[in-house]
Amino acid sequence: MELSDWQLVEKSQAGDADAFQELVSRYHQKVFMVILGLMRNREDALEVAQETFFRAFRKIKSFQGGSSFYTWIYRIAVNNSIDAQRKQKRNPLDFHESMDGLFEARNEVAKDPFADVQDRELRENMSKAINELTPEHKAVIVLRTIEGMSYKDIGEILGCSEGTVMSRLHYARKKLQDKLSAFL
Amino acid sequence: MSPCETIQESLGPWLDGELRGADGEAVRSHVASCADCAAARGRLEKLQLTLGTVLSTEAPQLKFAPFWREVERRIEAKRPWHEQLIEWCQSTLSAPRLAWAVPAAIMLVLGLLSFAKWPVGGQADNYASVESIDAHGRNVALLRDDKTKTTIIWLYQNPEGENENVEEAAKSGPAF
Amino acid sequence: MLKKLRSPALLFSLAFLTVAGWLSAAEKNPQSVQVRIRTILGGDKGDEFDPKLKGMEQQLKPLKHRSYRLLKDDTQTVPWQDGKSFEIPGGRSLTITPQDFQDNRIGLKVRLTQGDKPLIDTTVKIANKGNFILGGPAHEGGSLVLSISAAAQ
Repeated sequence: MELSDWQLVEKSQAGDADAFQELVSRYHQKVFMVILGLMRNREDALEVAQETFFRAFRKIKSFQGGSSFYTWIYRIAVNNSIDAQRKQKRNPLDFHESMDGLFEARNEVAKDPFADVQDRELRENMSKAINELTPEHKAVIVLRTIEGMSYKDIGEILGCSEGTVMSRLHYARKKLQDKLSAFL
Repeated sequence: MSPCETIQESLGPWLDGELRGADGEAVRSHVASCADCAAARGRLEKLQLTLGTVLSTEAPQLKFAPFWREVERRIEAKRPWHEQLIEWCQSTLSAPRLAWAVPAAIMLVLGLLSFAKWPVGGQADNYASVESIDAHGRNVALLRDDKTKTTIIWLYQNPEGENENVEEAAKSGPAF
Repeated sequence: MLKKLRSPALLFSLAFLTVAGWLSAAEKNPQSVQVRIRTILGGDKGDEFDPKLKGMEQQLKPLKHRSYRLLKDDTQTVPWQDGKSFEIPGGRSLTITPQDFQDNRIGLKVRLTQGDKPLIDTTVKIANKGNFILGGPAHEGGSLVLSISAAAQ
């Protein structure tokens, strides 16, 4: 029988490394996607994702279960990403060839939904527009879009009210629409 | 603010499923009868679709084994003392804990200050001020020891009767 | 989360302030004095240092006896202006009368007698919870050393 997140958390708190490994395997891809959405750089995102799980391991004993594990891990991820973003500025979506071994093989051209020239342009401009958002605006967009999270959960992760989430989302979308008006 | 502007501000929460009941119904019925707002809805949906596609396709599928190996390496690596200190400070001095820590620290300081007043040796202010001494004709020495800040009154006794024997009286003088 | 923690933290702070205020008020108007007399025999036979005197090594060092043994350890609560006697070996008696309390210092009137004869009368002011040493009377081949401590209550 598959254990719940909370059961795995309790086992991790008791020092069971396998239980923590299972939690990492459940969330590493989603956490990486959220961080990549915020960082816009694969190398940095991977580094921050690994650091996120390392920090979660160090803090797991203090996790009381006041929120769900995924809210807690995303909170650590978002905070780490925002800190890292403020520390360094790198080229968006830049990654080193040496990192290829870390990713599953994937034929990006065949799966590319932006095969059309105009759509490819839209993708590039969208990526640029996301990169120009403030870390707070980027965070609400990424959490809502990738995870489809409720405003309540987003507010819990970012430490703000649902009203603030609503307002940030509105302004972030407006900025994206303004920058991409030629394509939308 | 015109009704369309109000509705267009609520389009996002409505499409996100965050507007229910009468509010959600008001947006739905307005969009159904207003071409401008229906177009705004279309633009927003396209934006969301594009955003979703961009964000999900730019992230490659991670291989778990090398990812976990790196996390495990960090867990097992010994961190430099300053990083451990920063981490400890961050976890210990977080706001809710601080609310308890501040009065607790004040209590601890008061406790230490109070404890320091007891004669455990070497304390700050243990000197006694001697206002009067009457040894009824006997010799008395007064000593203040700087190291322990202790005042010593030493009574030299007459050998007549009050000592247990004469020889002891001779020995009873302090060596200081 | 913070909301949940705010009220116990506030209660704790209020309780702390109340206790601190009460303790502070109690310190300003002490009702009595707790007097502790440790009677020590200083000698020169052997090198024994009584483990019960742990913490007093440095205070006894200037007396330069080779051995120290605790003979008695008495504590009594003494009201202000009221004298209480402590029995000291060798038919002696030590009477302590707390006089006043000012600037966290306690005024004490001290009288040591042997039978009916007064040996010494002295008035000292010592730090609250502090001590001083009165020594000299011969006893069992050595000297009696009295550590007189007082704490306002």
